Amino acid sequence: MDKIAYFNDLMARTEELFYHELSDCVAWKTEFIGVDFIQSKDITGGSPSEIIESCIREITAAGLIKGAFYSIGGQEILLYLRIQECIHVPKELKLIQGGIEPYNCPIVNMVLDQLIEKLNFTTTYVAELEVDPETNECMIKCAIFETADKIGNVCDWSDECRLIDEQDQWKTVKC
Amino acid sequence: MQDILDVLMSRKSIRRYKSDPVPDEMIDKILEAARWAPTGENYQPWRFIVIKDQETRNKIGDLSKLGSGKRMTAWYCLGTMQKRFEKIEDPEKRAEVLRFMYSGEVSEFCKQAPLIIAVIGDLKIGSVDVPYDLCAATENILLEAHSLGLGACWVHGPVAATRDAIKFKEILGIPTGMNEYKVICYVAIGWPKEQRKHPRPKYALEDLVYWEKFGNKERR
Repeated sequence: MDKIAYFNDLMARTEELFYHELSDCVAWKTEFIGVDFIQSKDITGGSPSEIIESCIREITAAGLIKGAFYSIGGQEILLYLRIQECIHVPKELKLIQGGIEPYNCPIVNMVLDQLIEKLNFTTTYVAELEVDPETNECMIKCAIFETADKIGNVCDWSDECRLIDEQDQWKTVKC
Repeated sequence: MQDILDVLMSRKSIRRYKSDPVPDEMIDKILEAARWAPTGENYQPWRFIVIKDQETRNKIGDLSKLGSGKRMTAWYCLGTMQKRFEKIEDPEKRAEVLRFMYSGEVSEFCKQAPLIIAVIGDLKIGSVDVPYDLCAATENILLEAHSLGLGACWVHGPVAATRDAIKFKEILGIPTGMNEYKVICYVAIGWPKEQRKHPRPKYALEDLVYWEKFGNKERR
């Protein structure tokens, strides 16, 4: 029996029901999904990059993803992640098939949780979650706010993301 | 029996208030209206926390600002906020409205409201209907406040995200376990300091109503 497929099916059904109850604000409710795993690991670091890399290392070592790239930009508010071959991609594809945009990424929830728990970030928000069914890569844009006064520091993230790509500002971790 | 359609149609969300306090007898009437809302199997899972203390209102206002501000900052950076306000032709005015939104200031108004009522539900009492019962009670609060000449606004955003809801519970000393109480919203109430344009545009009934079967617009 493929236990990962089984659990992804359970998650997809649960998220489908949850979306049916809450429509578009459903994504605001799921931020704790995934945190139990990462909180059981010894994530260390004194900066966002160190925390993110420590998370990626543990998540990759556990086989939940094949790897991940990240970049921080947009006045240090944009956290842009590319996650490769996550075990939850089938769950996301099943949702897309049912007409629901993916909204709950346990991997990102883990990273954001540790920014809050370890660096005392004020708040975070998962702004955009896209899944490429061809490559099984997820592209996620998050807003991360170290302090409350960072709220309202705006810029154009499409420019930021283009620069990240053009200047290859992607960072990753060898696991 | 009195027709209350005028009360329903003249109500609007008020976010600017005079500093005058809301008299206790009015607070009692508003709470009385809330507890007469419809409730599945008469469970009455609602509990209401009446907040007048300025320090507490400031904390709730800060949390509200944070909740709206983080989302709207991200939406602006993605370009989706701008689309919502394309209809404002004056670029300076549009920029100011957008700044007001993404800064989160749009949701800070409860600091100026002399009264806040938090609407929470006991999940262990409420069986299946807690969120729906709480929404019905909230509507009664809004209508009674309006009928008394007060202004009020239903605020859900700051308690919509799970972490924010926990912070909200901590401010008010509500047990934070996921199996205990649900916070559905708070209502900011006070004497109106603004006259909002009214009525705001509403969809025509023929765009909203089907007869006998979904999609059938022909009246039968």
